[in-house]
Amino acid sequence: MTRLLGRFGLVIALAVLCAALSAARPSFLTLGNLVNLIRQISINGILAVGVTFVLLTGGVDLSLGSLVALTGVAAALFAHPGEYPVIAPVVAGVAAGALCGAASGAVITVGRVAPFIVTLGMMTAARGLALVASGGRPVSNLSPEFTALGGGQVLGVPVPVIVLAAVAAAAWVVLARFRMGRHVYAVGGNENAARASGIRVGRVKMFVYTLCGALAGLAGVVLAARITTGQPNAGVGYELDAIAAVVIGGTSLSGGVGGVGGTVLGALLMGVINNGLDLLNVPSYYQQIVKGVIIVGAVWMDRSQHKS
Amino acid sequence: MRRLVTAVLLVLLAGCGRTGQGPKQPVIGVSMMNLSNEFIAMLNKGMEAKARELGVTLIVNDAQRNAEKQVQQVESFVAQKVDAIILNPSEVEASSPAVDRAVAAGIPIVNVNSETRSAPSAFVGSRDEESARIAMEYIVKRLGGRGDIVMMHGFMGQAAQLKRDQGAREVLRKNPGVKMLADQTAEWDRAKAMSLMENWIQSFGPKIQAVFAQNDEMAMGALMALEQAKMKDKVIVVGVDSIADALEAVKAGRLDATVFQDAKGQAGAAVETAVKLIRKQPVDKQVYIPFQLVTRDNVAQYLK
Amino acid sequence: MIQAKDISKSFAGVPALAGVSLEIRAGEVHALMGENGAGKSTFMKIVAGQLAADSGTVDSGGGRVAMIHQELMPFLDLTVAENITMGREPAGRFPGTVDRGAMRREARELLARLGSTIDPDRKMRGLSVAAMQMVEIAKALGWRADAILMDEPTSALAGHEADLLFEVIRDLRRRGVAVVYTSHKMDEIFRIADRVTVLRDGRSVATHAASELDERRLIALMVGRELTSQRPAGGAARTETALSVKGFGGAEFEVRKGEIVGMIGLMGAGRTELASAIYGLAPGQGEVRVNGRVATIGSPADAIRHGIAMVTEDRKGSGIVPRMSVRENLTLASLGAVSRGPWVSRAAEAEAARGQMSGLAIKARGPEQEIATLSGGNQQKVMLGRALLARPEVLILDEPTRGIDVGAKTEVHELIRRLAREGKAILMISSEMPEILAVSDRILVVREGRVTAELDPRTATQEQILAHAMPEAG
Repeated sequence: MTRLLGRFGLVIALAVLCAALSAARPSFLTLGNLVNLIRQISINGILAVGVTFVLLTGGVDLSLGSLVALTGVAAALFAHPGEYPVIAPVVAGVAAGALCGAASGAVITVGRVAPFIVTLGMMTAARGLALVASGGRPVSNLSPEFTALGGGQVLGVPVPVIVLAAVAAAAWVVLARFRMGRHVYAVGGNENAARASGIRVGRVKMFVYTLCGALAGLAGVVLAARITTGQPNAGVGYELDAIAAVVIGGTSLSGGVGGVGGTVLGALLMGVINNGLDLLNVPSYYQQIVKGVIIVGAVWMDRSQHKS
Repeated sequence: MRRLVTAVLLVLLAGCGRTGQGPKQPVIGVSMMNLSNEFIAMLNKGMEAKARELGVTLIVNDAQRNAEKQVQQVESFVAQKVDAIILNPSEVEASSPAVDRAVAAGIPIVNVNSETRSAPSAFVGSRDEESARIAMEYIVKRLGGRGDIVMMHGFMGQAAQLKRDQGAREVLRKNPGVKMLADQTAEWDRAKAMSLMENWIQSFGPKIQAVFAQNDEMAMGALMALEQAKMKDKVIVVGVDSIADALEAVKAGRLDATVFQDAKGQAGAAVETAVKLIRKQPVDKQVYIPFQLVTRDNVAQYLK
Repeated sequence: MIQAKDISKSFAGVPALAGVSLEIRAGEVHALMGENGAGKSTFMKIVAGQLAADSGTVDSGGGRVAMIHQELMPFLDLTVAENITMGREPAGRFPGTVDRGAMRREARELLARLGSTIDPDRKMRGLSVAAMQMVEIAKALGWRADAILMDEPTSALAGHEADLLFEVIRDLRRRGVAVVYTSHKMDEIFRIADRVTVLRDGRSVATHAASELDERRLIALMVGRELTSQRPAGGAARTETALSVKGFGGAEFEVRKGEIVGMIGLMGAGRTELASAIYGLAPGQGEVRVNGRVATIGSPADAIRHGIAMVTEDRKGSGIVPRMSVRENLTLASLGAVSRGPWVSRAAEAEAARGQMSGLAIKARGPEQEIATLSGGNQQKVMLGRALLARPEVLILDEPTRGIDVGAKTEVHELIRRLAREGKAILMISSEMPEILAVSDRILVVREGRVTAELDPRTATQEQILAHAMPEAG
């Protein structure tokens, strides 16, 4: 209950924004647009859930955007019609992401290099790998079974939305109910105390970076399916959107505090802003200003709520 | 440990370097704005083909959209005393110093595809306004001079975006029956264009009769959003650049049209001009390669 | 010189101070006494202007007040001189520049007044805690403070270092500076204080001249009742060896089941390093046996698996996870025991937490209270509970009563004895001789990482211990 109330400011910001938008544009509050909106946040949402784990341990992952491109390409290479079953590209994408995440995690834990630097390196290297794997050109001609993962629906719900919901729910269970979740909070809350309590800190870090990479892979798969190509230059800047969603959702950049619930709200808020500004046809230049102001304002409101 | 790493890096670098240069072949330094862009990559391929044909050596550098890097690359070409430079500028202003450096060193420099403020020895490219004009005129014709459209911009403030915007608006001014419902940037990006189109579908619905996207990537994104909303048969979508995906889509009857920017033509002309400059032969200061409209009727000749 | 009237302050609705009034005179050493959570630190911060009171007034008559915190907050990578002149650096010839020569001179002068010869150009990192404290005091002098508030300045000092500090305090008193002082060490109060004010539960209980009080009476005022802390009669002979240690650069000893072995030494004698190495928290080469079997320990996780648990010395740094609840902190080292597969069983966890909270008499609003909001003594009990939940055979306690108040201290001592009676083998590290003498069954003296003597607490004297602990003359 206290956790829910803790996010009260964010819920209010979201409600106010939605009310204002539906007053200005009746088309905002239609089922069609709401489904559309959640589908649009699904990729950022999946990335944000993954990076929530990393931020909770006090780390950071800047390689997400590049991983999305790399894993999208990896998936697309296995998704040409009539070659492999549809599970192959999914596995290829997720595995590629997990592998890159594990590589970052290994350098961070074994080599004791700062996560900022390691994942910055991974950001560049993964982009290069994506270009090499694709020959610098988009990988297209993908099977309809595969692209259904991005554009299809099950009982009227878009597949990306289902993927996000499943990922968020599973992540919530792990963080709130699993031993590993508790270890993640402990490492971010006080790494020395966690180590002294017999927690294998290195394993926890390996876990979060691998998981974050795997989820970036999943996001890459969904993106490739949605835009029906594996694009080596996709995803530029996605990591910052994901981190913004997590921080808006109340997870501390220094670790130990926060959770997936807030992250989903944060991603939702960013989605509503994007969608609303397009619906209102706010000119491109102004959109960026408005976005920046709303993001900082929402976090500010949330934090002042916290203090009282 | 550190020495080991250095050694490994040196070996890697050496492996990347070109080998087997003939003694007398002229050398042309090439700085490309961004080789992970498909069109630029095609441009690069065209130049390499032409260079082989003419027997010149190219040293190709990728500036990765970074004008400052581009200036550095040209500076090192100057230092290496190449015979000529071909510059594919990433920015109008910020890439100008690169041109100045080459001119000051007396090395001929040819700008290809986009312009800089500083005047190079020669320019080879196409007029971006023209591409938008061709696309928009096609839309006006298909709508019979009356209808509502939306337009997707490229990255705001870039030369291509500004010129394509200018070209499209020229046509709109001459055809008051066609109204622009909304225009917004999707930053040349397919995923962003898809989201933008979805949002437009939500706010304008069936009112939209045509979409002009300032490049094919965005046109493909808009196309997919429309197909998912089952509206494609009622909306005309046109892009620019003729990337492979777009050509396939035109062939399949999904995309209505794209505009062919002749990468091979530009690339060939650029290398030829550079070679002429090296041989001190007369050249045209400005070489314009025309755009061509690609529809289902003529798409076959553009697909290789 | 300072008049504080009717100061009240609450945190999140919980009153910390309720109408405290106090007068501090120029040139006196005023001791502020009370259990942890009595409101001493809060009161000091309000007097120093670092915290706003909810109501009440502080009148310092225009004098300057400086405060030296319990947890020192130096800029570790700056020099001593830079730390001393922080915030009022002497201006150089050009605007915005600093006159480093003047800065160094001033720092040297201030340190000299304190009888200290610390090099002003040294980095703070690497200085001893005592030296850092000197720097803090020099900084306060540099601000020409008329009153200096010291929150537990000796909690991290060895005996002779504390003596030096008292010299400085006496010197400050001669210069007319008022010193307000808190400590948990009774003997210090009677050595240094002119007057004593006792706080209890956020209220001022009494102010007395120090000469009017004795230790017994002071403790009674602080806890509101009389305490008896007598050494209980020696237990039965303990024969079964639980822990044996060999190596680690010259340590060889055993701890038997049901036995409390006290380990004492000067600051920097290598006790913590030795304990950390046994526990796998620090590197070290040696052989550890638990119940006769060799235990290969590369990390605390291994140690716990072999039945060794440890409560670390630095509660804030490597003990509590501040933003977690009491429950989560308690079960951190024993999540496996309250889990089924990867799932933490909420019922089992809550039960384990409640068990320790009642068994150790942890005072909290409930298991969900954030641990950072508990008093030091209660945090320490949570640390003890965390170690116990790991069901160890051997318990290593590094400074188990550092920075906690008298009442809680006796409670912790009682708990340690009870655990020993229940059969745990306990290795207790402490810098406080009375504690070692009162609690241990056997005393090991450590110097330069080696065990130099084994003494019987029933016959050992403080002088004897010191003789073994001090570096050989020469």
